[in-house]
Amino acid sequence: MESQSSTRGGGAVTTPVPHMGVRSVTVEYPGVRALDAVTVDFHAGQIHAIVGENGAGKSTLMKVLSGAVAPNAGELLLNGQPTVLRGPRAAIRAGISMVHQELNLVPTLSVAENVLLGREPTLLAGIAVDRRRQQDRAREVLSMLGAELDLSCAVSELSIADSQYVEIAKCLASEAQVLILDEPTAALGEYEARKLLNLLRRLRDEGRAVIFISHHLDEVVDIADQISVLRDGRLVAQFTRNSAGVLQSADGTIANEDTLAHAMVGRELGSIYPVKGTARPGSDAAIELIEFGAVGRSSGISMTVRPGEIVGVAGLVGSGRTETAEAIVGLRRAAGEIRVAGRTHAFAHPRAAMRAGVAYVSEDRKGRGLHVSLSCIVNMTLPSLDAFSQLAGARLDDVKERSVTARWINELAIRCARPGLAISSLSGGNQQKFVLARWLETRPNVLIIDEPTRGVDVGAKAEIYRIIAALAQEGLACIVISSELPELIGIAHRVLVMRKGSVAGEVTREHLSQVGCDERIVRIASGLSADRQGTS
Amino acid sequence: MSNSHTGLAVRMQRFLEHWGVVVAFVLLFAVSALKQGGDFLSMENFRNLLNQNAAVGILAVGMTLVIVSAGIDLSVGSMVVLAAAVGTTAMNGLIGAGWSEPSAVISGVVLTILAGTAAGSLNGALIVFGRIAPFIATLGGLAAFRSIALAIAEAGEIRSQSPTMFSALGRGGIPLPFAENSAGKALTISWSTVIFFAVAIAAQWFLSRARFGRQLVAIGANETAARYAGVPVAWIRFRVYALMGAFAGIAGLVQSSRMNSVSTSQLGLGSELDAIAAVVIGGTSLRGGFGRVWGTVVGVLILGMITNILTISGVSPYWQGAVKGTVIVLAVLVQRGSRA
Repeated sequence: MESQSSTRGGGAVTTPVPHMGVRSVTVEYPGVRALDAVTVDFHAGQIHAIVGENGAGKSTLMKVLSGAVAPNAGELLLNGQPTVLRGPRAAIRAGISMVHQELNLVPTLSVAENVLLGREPTLLAGIAVDRRRQQDRAREVLSMLGAELDLSCAVSELSIADSQYVEIAKCLASEAQVLILDEPTAALGEYEARKLLNLLRRLRDEGRAVIFISHHLDEVVDIADQISVLRDGRLVAQFTRNSAGVLQSADGTIANEDTLAHAMVGRELGSIYPVKGTARPGSDAAIELIEFGAVGRSSGISMTVRPGEIVGVAGLVGSGRTETAEAIVGLRRAAGEIRVAGRTHAFAHPRAAMRAGVAYVSEDRKGRGLHVSLSCIVNMTLPSLDAFSQLAGARLDDVKERSVTARWINELAIRCARPGLAISSLSGGNQQKFVLARWLETRPNVLIIDEPTRGVDVGAKAEIYRIIAALAQEGLACIVISSELPELIGIAHRVLVMRKGSVAGEVTREHLSQVGCDERIVRIASGLSADRQGTS
Repeated sequence: MSNSHTGLAVRMQRFLEHWGVVVAFVLLFAVSALKQGGDFLSMENFRNLLNQNAAVGILAVGMTLVIVSAGIDLSVGSMVVLAAAVGTTAMNGLIGAGWSEPSAVISGVVLTILAGTAAGSLNGALIVFGRIAPFIATLGGLAAFRSIALAIAEAGEIRSQSPTMFSALGRGGIPLPFAENSAGKALTISWSTVIFFAVAIAAQWFLSRARFGRQLVAIGANETAARYAGVPVAWIRFRVYALMGAFAGIAGLVQSSRMNSVSTSQLGLGSELDAIAAVVIGGTSLRGGFGRVWGTVVGVLILGMITNILTISGVSPYWQGAVKGTVIVLAVLVQRGSRA
């Protein structure tokens, strides 16, 4: 059914007619110009990456392409023809499918049912679903992806990575020729992310146009045939892979993480990682885990974190990192012993942990970390609400609430004009700073941060790293859980690698400063020996 | 973000989302006044309007807090009758045992509220510790609590044995200096109305200015996030159902003292639906995380006024339900926008 033959060989692709494109597209929202005369072409058989800071217009561009937003000016081309897409259904009929960051699957339905949702093969003139053909077709599509999933398994039982496969399979089942993915690797670990990127390559080689948004500049440079950089709604740079396989812009700039970051931000960032401080020598442990674990998820974990120390925790998704952290603060049943400042504790709930000076910042900012529908002030003061209570809680000191919020806005340079508005109006980076601020306001001695920069743009990332480093310098003991190895290597003093619910190895400070330490971590996380054979 | 770009229609929609309930109240009031004139506008009519709706109003105020926490309580009508039956029976027993009237009445009052609180606490315990969905747990209460009240009185009426004090509680009030009723006596604001407003003001304060209300909103908006933020979710949820029970006890007291008796088959019957309707009309989101007690109070008055005006106009009581139903659905439609 392929309409275009793929002509990939040396990497250079010069398809004359772009499969899809936008011409001088402008989208205006009240008070904001989200897209400003943007012109981009998307070719069949190419992977086109869109990068930019949060608020640069990436999502708006995706919405235009997938028919969710009609541009105020400019036009959409499909196979060279001006096209108007009236809504997402029209886009899907035209062969354009979008995989949203928040997956649109029905959790209670099975894998097969989700893959063919809305296009079920029917029996008896449409009054019954043909289960057998449904299963066959779903299996066929999933095998195209190289995914082995239990077709009758409910989607709610799947991991995020597997759910994503189902979502992509859904697009393929609708015969999509243009596939748009919004941060597909954001919720994935290193290994799953690589698998997904390989899948994207395959879809490209089969002649589809793949468009994807990512904050991970390394994978963008690795995989994209074309990169478009958006800033403040404008297209500010474009890189194309030339015949030598090098991503280059028209003026000869070669794309790498630095040049991309520079184009996105429009200024020099310097190194996004701050200088590492030193842990306080000889000081007693701020927190100590002894044979600790989350019941059913992890066990036998022993670790010590001293004041001023930043300990990284790496591992694949599903290795029990998050569950262990949740068990520490009492969100899950725990086994083993926790000592905070020398005293043994067993926290029944996060409140008890907070009283002992242990705070946990969840990886799931929208679902668990924040109340997105409530105001910045309410979000800011929720964990430390007791400190704002007067008359045994009968009154909250709203003046103090506002002044404390204003102080943190100032201290962490949060861009927030009106703290009384819902926190969902802020960008991901600023929301993340609020999450940090709300826990710092509880004056913790131990801070556990799970995925500190997920869904956060480069500029805000650098600021968050600086904040964490500064806090450690002031004596805070930090445990940073992350799927982004550069981040762990960049800020942690040492990294523990988890695998299948226990600590599989540790990468010390000396190793972290050496080239190839990321490979070392991946090897440990995957169950291989730390050093490659033949080298040491 | 409202600026010149925002169209008139959008601004109108936002205005109605927030103030629709007040607009509806004013419109209804104006129509009633124009159509009925003196009959409707008399102080005595307003007094009766408030008196008749105080009990449902108290329930609706409590229901607002429950719904803000993303819960529901279907058992309020049955808690009203159970609390009133327990309290009145106890009071009668004490009078029969030779207690003085004041001490028996005071004990009866306290026991009525305690019985309501106990029933509410049972709901809370089932929901929080038994992990039963609020809808189901309180559906059980709806059936069980009334059944206990019926059993206590053998499905009959419990007449108060207090000669004067108990009914004085229900019929007395604060006299208004310049108002007279049709019989020429000084008009009073009844205690039940005073209690209704006191409870509403306290609840509005607690919802918007106190720690408990903030935690309720946090739980209603996203229970998981509230748990992660260290909110004592179980304890707060338990408390809101216990509080609802106490409110039901107070409503039972208001009703039983006004009638000077408890009809176990009739008292509070169906009032859970009136209370929920008032909350919804008042603009509180059934999904939780947002609510306002003042809106509920206006909602109660709107529902009361509809019955009032239909009765004065001589519309058959059979038709009143249809009108009420229409108003409830309209209220939700107008306020749908971003919340309800």
